[in-house]
Amino acid sequence: MAAAAMRPSMGALGRISSSTPSPLRPLTQTASISTTAALLKRHKYREARVYRDNSKHRGESAIHRSGTRWRLSMSDEPLPRPVPRSKLPAIETDPDHGLWDFFANRQMISDPPSEIAKHGRSWTAEELRHKSWDDLHRLWWVCAKERNRIATANWERNKGEMGFGEAEAQKRDHTVRQTMRSIKHVLTERFYTWEDAVKLAENDPEVDLTGNGPAFIPSNYLEEGDVAATEGEQQAAETTGETVEKADPVTTATPEPATIPSSQQPTDAPR
Amino acid sequence: MQPTRALQALRFRRLRLTTKDVNKGFYKGTGTGSTGRHTKRGGYIIEWDKVRTYVCPPLDGFKLTPFVTETMPRTYGSYDGPLGPKDPAMYLARWKAENGLD
Repeated sequence: MAAAAMRPSMGALGRISSSTPSPLRPLTQTASISTTAALLKRHKYREARVYRDNSKHRGESAIHRSGTRWRLSMSDEPLPRPVPRSKLPAIETDPDHGLWDFFANRQMISDPPSEIAKHGRSWTAEELRHKSWDDLHRLWWVCAKERNRIATANWERNKGEMGFGEAEAQKRDHTVRQTMRSIKHVLTERFYTWEDAVKLAENDPEVDLTGNGPAFIPSNYLEEGDVAATEGEQQAAETTGETVEKADPVTTATPEPATIPSSQQPTDAPR
Repeated sequence: MQPTRALQALRFRRLRLTTKDVNKGFYKGTGTGSTGRHTKRGGYIIEWDKVRTYVCPPLDGFKLTPFVTETMPRTYGSYDGPLGPKDPAMYLARWKAENGLD
């Protein structure tokens, strides 16, 4: 009873003495008999054998399916098996996404060369002179998108090392660039002509450039005398206008579906 | 000693101009323009009013294509006078005939 009662207190004493060094006892033992770890260390003589195996994977063999030497910390759950692509759920894409415009065809990465070669000629500057600014602006972007499509198909064909369609794509791209060049030509020409026309209008009695009231006051119906005075000028204007109309009767200032051939319309319009 | 064939007078003019062909102060660039400014410490600050933004106009219902049918021959204008299509009088007359407003 007494020993059992003493034990916890003795244990507590030992714990206290081991964990917190007492100031009364010296920290290092220098006596010949001691139980400290430093003096109990195994003696190493010169030829002492090292029992540790330096080859960590000794005995492991993939051929004999030995497995690992030690148990790995892995769960026993079966590994997931790859699912065939046909059984995967379809990837949902936006059918109206703008990036679809980079492809001529949603089923094929590139049109066949026979399809690439199906295009007309480029616009001439004279045909574009009768288009409005908005039309030219939009036509420019249509051209840019067409060039994007050509470049995307080129890239895809290059990546797949298909080895065809390069010449046709180059020719198609060249045609588009010719059209874009004509657009630039016409817009530059129109700007310079406008600058000159503003200078000319400063001396024109019919044109009021001050910004007060209408800019153009036709004088030929105001008085009989004015009609006679400006008749020559007006006639010149009409004749030049007519020559413009006669030069290109098909293309007019407003875009007409007649300018587009009906055969080309279904293939190119929805792109 | 003579220059290589590629650099002989007539051919040289057809080569692309590089910074090594001219004196100091020649900035070749790429024709792109800047989008900001360099700082004293080597950084770069993008100034958004210098960054170009290209706005595509609405193309719904736009029927023109980059191509014109081959069945239609190429049309060229015939203009009287030395200025050709750049005649300001013709521009003014067309403005009066078509619009006369803006």
